[in-house]
Amino acid sequence: MYRIKFKIAIILGFTGLINFQSFAQNNWDVPADKKSKNSNIEFNSGTAKEGEGIYNTNCKSCHGDIGKNNSLQSLKPVPPDLSSAQSKALLDGELFHILNVGRGLMPSFKEVLPESDRWKVIAYMRSYDKDYVQIISKTDPAKANLVKIKMVFDSINSKLNVEVVANEKAGIVKLKNAEIALFVTRHFGKMQLDKTLRTDNNGNASFDFPKDLPGDKVGNVELIVRVNDEIYGEIESISKFKIAVPTDKPSLTEKRAMWNVLAKAPIWLILLYLSGVLLATGVILYIIYNLYKLSKSNNNLKN
Amino acid sequence: MLEQSKIDKITSDLLGSIRLNKSFMIWMGFLGVSLFVCLGAYVKQLTDGLVVTGLGDYVSWGMYLSNFVFFVATSLIGMLISAILGLSGAKWAAPLARIAEIIALAFAAVAGLVIVSDMGRPDRLLNVFIHGRVQSPIVWDITVVTGYVLISALFLYIPLIPDLKICSEKLDKIPPFQRKIYKILSLNWNGTLEQEKLLKQSTRMLAILIIPVAMAIHTVTSWLFASTPRAGWDSTIMGPYFVTGAFVSGSAAVIIAMYFYRKNYKLQDYITDFHFDKMGKLLVLVSLIYLYFNLNEYMVPGYKMKKFDAIHLNNLFIGGHAVMFWMVQIFGLIIPIILLLFKKMRKPLPMLLIGIAVLIGAWFKRYIIVIPTMEHPFLPIQNVPLHFKVYTPTGIEILVSIAPLILVLIIITLLSKVIPIIPIHETIEQLEEKH
Repeated sequence: MYRIKFKIAIILGFTGLINFQSFAQNNWDVPADKKSKNSNIEFNSGTAKEGEGIYNTNCKSCHGDIGKNNSLQSLKPVPPDLSSAQSKALLDGELFHILNVGRGLMPSFKEVLPESDRWKVIAYMRSYDKDYVQIISKTDPAKANLVKIKMVFDSINSKLNVEVVANEKAGIVKLKNAEIALFVTRHFGKMQLDKTLRTDNNGNASFDFPKDLPGDKVGNVELIVRVNDEIYGEIESISKFKIAVPTDKPSLTEKRAMWNVLAKAPIWLILLYLSGVLLATGVILYIIYNLYKLSKSNNNLKN
Repeated sequence: MLEQSKIDKITSDLLGSIRLNKSFMIWMGFLGVSLFVCLGAYVKQLTDGLVVTGLGDYVSWGMYLSNFVFFVATSLIGMLISAILGLSGAKWAAPLARIAEIIALAFAAVAGLVIVSDMGRPDRLLNVFIHGRVQSPIVWDITVVTGYVLISALFLYIPLIPDLKICSEKLDKIPPFQRKIYKILSLNWNGTLEQEKLLKQSTRMLAILIIPVAMAIHTVTSWLFASTPRAGWDSTIMGPYFVTGAFVSGSAAVIIAMYFYRKNYKLQDYITDFHFDKMGKLLVLVSLIYLYFNLNEYMVPGYKMKKFDAIHLNNLFIGGHAVMFWMVQIFGLIIPIILLLFKKMRKPLPMLLIGIAVLIGAWFKRYIIVIPTMEHPFLPIQNVPLHFKVYTPTGIEILVSIAPLILVLIIITLLSKVIPIIPIHETIEQLEEKH
């Protein structure tokens, strides 16, 4: 009797825990300043269409097709269908924040997708909500064009120093307290170096640059600095530096190998194959010649 | 010398089957309609894609691939009976050589089509030839299967040349164009010493050539599996294991064909109980060798029970595929071996039944080789519906798999209506030697 009660207690305890968890999962606790953030991209059929492509590559595998309630049920918590009332109730800023930070099994997309792509996903999601009216951000997207990012490598301290300024008509403005991150291009996508920082009062930020980062044959790497400012929006700058460790690893497809293309197949294999084919073809041709002789031999007899 | 009357009797007996009668028409009509139904299923597969089959990400080689292996296997019998037995001087096999060659040619030619049924985009078939890599066993497989079809056709044709001459001269009631074709194909055969010598030499060379090529065709087919590291396929004896298994299914096919030819073409004087007795003993021999390879194939990994081998073997012995596995081993191998040890069982009718059991067992054996391994990849399968994990062939897949068998029966039936299925020239020659 005691054991049954104990079991019931455990079951109740677990269900309670699960309920609590799912409650906690729904509550994203988005900070007020993030909540009020809005897109300066207009949500229309064009941006929604672009967003659909981005959604299908990055989100669909878990969230399923919007409106079809076919999200991946085996995940805990179950990813919501993004046309659900619960999702619709979220503000644009809240959705943007969720995309940026992620939680549990949902990854952060902040460094994976550029800001415009993240907004387009939200545009696609909103296209399923007929009652939705967009509040467009008052920030001017053209302002981003004024921003200049200067990167200087300090080889002694192995640091990459970045200065972010805007060429306003009134003069040069230094971007203070802007979010700034450094990436390096790799074979697939990009990798973040150091942490995401904020610029100081002079618009400067300094990243630790790893001493063992492999570059190409001469040590070139492609660095990307991404700045996100309240007024100027998101700006990206790409430049090449010859500051990494020169790496000359022969490609696995350079020499003859089993996994290579036909032109680079192992010689012994080609010989083995060809000798078999030639030998068999030779015998067959000889036999066909025999048949030819056979058909002629009778004619000779007659003549 | 043999009396002319006896030669005439043999000739008319063996040419007797070359005529179109009512039962032939009914049989071909039945085959034609069945083929039409199966082709309908294939059209459905072509238009809708492989989604109409049970194939998927995990089991991408299903019934079609096991069907392919079965067809390649059965075609190997031509080499065993015509070449190995012929070269080793086993005279009893001579009347069966052409039956074996017809079966070999039909199964090998159709095997190439079977593999196409597994392709979602058969219109891209040419790319296999254009962009094929010599490192891929698939390219080797295409090469050897094509080569084997060619050599089998020659091996059927060359000993047939004297018989074609007989056909063109002795067959009455055939349309003139058919007589003309016989005449052209008989290559001015006149039975001169030089011609006899050339014929003997060519046949002998082909008999020698066909042995390595036939070994290669099934060894390379086994490499499609053995060149991967997957549990159940990663085995060094896969080549001989496949070749010996091929002799089992091929012998069974020849026994079934012998029975029907003997009954329908009234060849009791030529395919005798003696031949059935010999074929029975041959089937026991090849089955025992195959049983021996089976022991190796399962006992060695079964002793070590490495992680993934253990999953595979448990699945075969006591898991989801256990019923099929044990049915195949017991009814397709062990019981036939035991039964055929008794002389009474090596009579035509019991042999027919045993042959059918062995052939069905041989087909399911290929299923057991292909599918269970595919269902257990090294990377764990997660978050997928049940039908992804457990392969079940669909109705369309089954129909498309039956189509090649119908095609083989059509080829065999047609061939045996235009050529004598027992070599006339050789039969007379052998009788003359005895005198």
